[in-house]
Amino acid sequence: MAGSSRRQFLKQTAGAGAGVASWLALGQAPAFAQRRELTMLSWNHFVPAADDELKKQAEAFGKQANCTVRVDTMAHLQMPAKVAAEAQSQSGHDMFRTAAADPFLYEKQLVDVGPLVEKLGKTGGGWYPFAEQSCRTDAGWRAVPWFWISFPGTYNMAHFKKAGFGDKVPKTWDDLLQMGKALKKQGNPVGIPISHCSDAHSTYWSIAWSFGAKVIEADGKTPAIKSAQTERVIEYYKELFKDAMEPEVLSWDDASNNRFILSGKGSWIHNPVSPYNAALKEKMPIADDINHHNSPAGPAGTHSAPPILSLGIWRFSKNQELARDFIEFLMKKENYDAWIVASNSFNHPPLKNLADHPIWARNPKFAMLPKEAEFAHPRGWPAKPNDAVQRIDNNYVMADMVAKAINGMPTKRAIDWAEQQIASAVKGQLKAG
Amino acid sequence: MAVRSDVVGMAGAPRPGLLTRLHEWWEQEHVFGYGLIAPALLLLVCLVAYPFGMAIYFSLSDYWVGSPGGFVGAQNYRDILGNEVFRQTVWNSFVFTIIAVLLKAVLGVWLAMLLARNFRFKRVVRGAVLLPWVIPTALSTLAWGWMFDSLYSVVNWTAIRVGLIDPPGPNWLGIAGYAMTAVITVNVWRGLPFFAIIVLAGLVSIPREYYEAAEVDGASSWGRWIHVTLPLLKPVLAVVILFSTIFTFSDFNIVQVLTRGGPVNTTHLFATLAYQVGLNGGNLGQGAAISLFLFPMLAAVVFIQLRFIRKE
Repeated sequence: MAGSSRRQFLKQTAGAGAGVASWLALGQAPAFAQRRELTMLSWNHFVPAADDELKKQAEAFGKQANCTVRVDTMAHLQMPAKVAAEAQSQSGHDMFRTAAADPFLYEKQLVDVGPLVEKLGKTGGGWYPFAEQSCRTDAGWRAVPWFWISFPGTYNMAHFKKAGFGDKVPKTWDDLLQMGKALKKQGNPVGIPISHCSDAHSTYWSIAWSFGAKVIEADGKTPAIKSAQTERVIEYYKELFKDAMEPEVLSWDDASNNRFILSGKGSWIHNPVSPYNAALKEKMPIADDINHHNSPAGPAGTHSAPPILSLGIWRFSKNQELARDFIEFLMKKENYDAWIVASNSFNHPPLKNLADHPIWARNPKFAMLPKEAEFAHPRGWPAKPNDAVQRIDNNYVMADMVAKAINGMPTKRAIDWAEQQIASAVKGQLKAG
Repeated sequence: MAVRSDVVGMAGAPRPGLLTRLHEWWEQEHVFGYGLIAPALLLLVCLVAYPFGMAIYFSLSDYWVGSPGGFVGAQNYRDILGNEVFRQTVWNSFVFTIIAVLLKAVLGVWLAMLLARNFRFKRVVRGAVLLPWVIPTALSTLAWGWMFDSLYSVVNWTAIRVGLIDPPGPNWLGIAGYAMTAVITVNVWRGLPFFAIIVLAGLVSIPREYYEAAEVDGASSWGRWIHVTLPLLKPVLAVVILFSTIFTFSDFNIVQVLTRGGPVNTTHLFATLAYQVGLNGGNLGQGAAISLFLFPMLAAVVFIQLRFIRKE
């Protein structure tokens, strides 16, 4: 169990036992039971030190606000089910880490945090555009944007130099294709997963938007996949697959591209900075060769679909004010800065002032990362996040569409197939929370 | 002499005490019998019948995680039947189950016959054979995942070194045919011990005299196998094939860990698709409908095999 040792458990149960005994003896609730407890549900952070820092700050806040703050963390893949269960049973934690379309799915179950968002925005230099796109429903702000995870191009400088590109990096997806052809010939292919994993989608959205393609219209229910732009996206993928990648990308999971670049074979991947951080931590010599650049652009500009995480407060919570105060506390510059450091620059702030942290400016390999915020969108954009979009991702529709075309299905038919899948995802549109 | 109070009581009131009456009531056969099966029945109702009933209800309703919906009749079933991914899954499930069970049956009987011989360390080997069945599937499948990894596949590495294939070797989890081969391989590896051990038990229970008699009649080893071993093994084989078919058909872990249904849904089974649609996708109604498709198919398998066993 995360965060509680046997000793803690014994202490807690002993405390509970003593509490019950004195309660029975006195006929009234013991004093410590009256102390308020704020509970928060979050994920197991990919950089565990970030969770330690979060728990440290929770304790500090508890001291300041004279309450206990309990932060529970769990595997990110299990969170949707847990959150749904809490919504259904109307009990559980006071606040939780929302992801993807949660603020929209649970619109009616989450309290309005508009004033807090406004206040934080004023002192924090304003929010990046994706903040509003991912947390503001028609009813108002349903979550406070917490952090996002940049999704830049990660490349091996040595391979690029060897192929004669010097310090040049792929500024556009087309550059990537051209450079990738040479890199593959050199034995260092590029890699974008086209498989059942979430990185496959992060990149698909990014490429699709850059080519001006959409998946769903702004109304959130009309499939918009059938277009000349999507055809170009698929043709692009096909060419990249054939000339710059190897078939292994069809079998990748979320960790495969990390291994691909760290093994020294791969020359380029589209991913958070975790491979570089892992290389540093493990003192791998390849760390010196790895560098990052902003996500490539396409004919319709640069766009990216990074994971965006926010904080929501349940309407059933009895500690809503306390939860708001806690969020404000976490977003304070000194606390947020400490958290960025603990996460080794993995956590990117949604507030512009917080993005000035020296951890990025100081390291030239990270310097461009905060800029990624400017072209980030929640998945489904220009539609508002909704469950149909989430279902399209969960069913790996876009990755499968591309994989089908790569496996020989005519592009138009692959798109027809995807349109059917999108239509069936939309058909099950959830009646709002 | 002290008079015992209960004796006095008995003398005072001829009617037996409450405890005694309760005892007598409990001793009656029909009460006692039901009393004994009640705990098991309660468990079955709570852990099997109730979830099963709920699944049927979900499959007939527009039920989403976090939002109970109304009754929609067979709509979910119509939707999934109309979906190409589901039809692909039905096909996958049959291919997966038939090939895996066949392989397990043939290899399992073979392995059992090897294990039935006398050799040194017989017990140790018999125990060791059970290992794949004993270790948690998720763990062993992760190890297989590494063996099939696109970059670090020890299978490919070895085959290339030995000169069996040209580098880089097959992309195990990325190409439909290979991926299916991979999940079937792991399933057979895991299910084989179960098969072998149960068949072994059947083999050991065949009286030696039959073989001796057959030998006297001049039967070759093949003849003994066909006319003695196989007929006597049939009931055991039927039961173990029945179980194995059920386990294989409803497999989840192996596919979920190795391929998550990919590439392009060519390894999805009912359970993994139901998980993807029902829990990840939040569509509990459709998820339940997908997993309930298992039920009529398994029911048919059970029916046919049980009839077969009874006839035997």
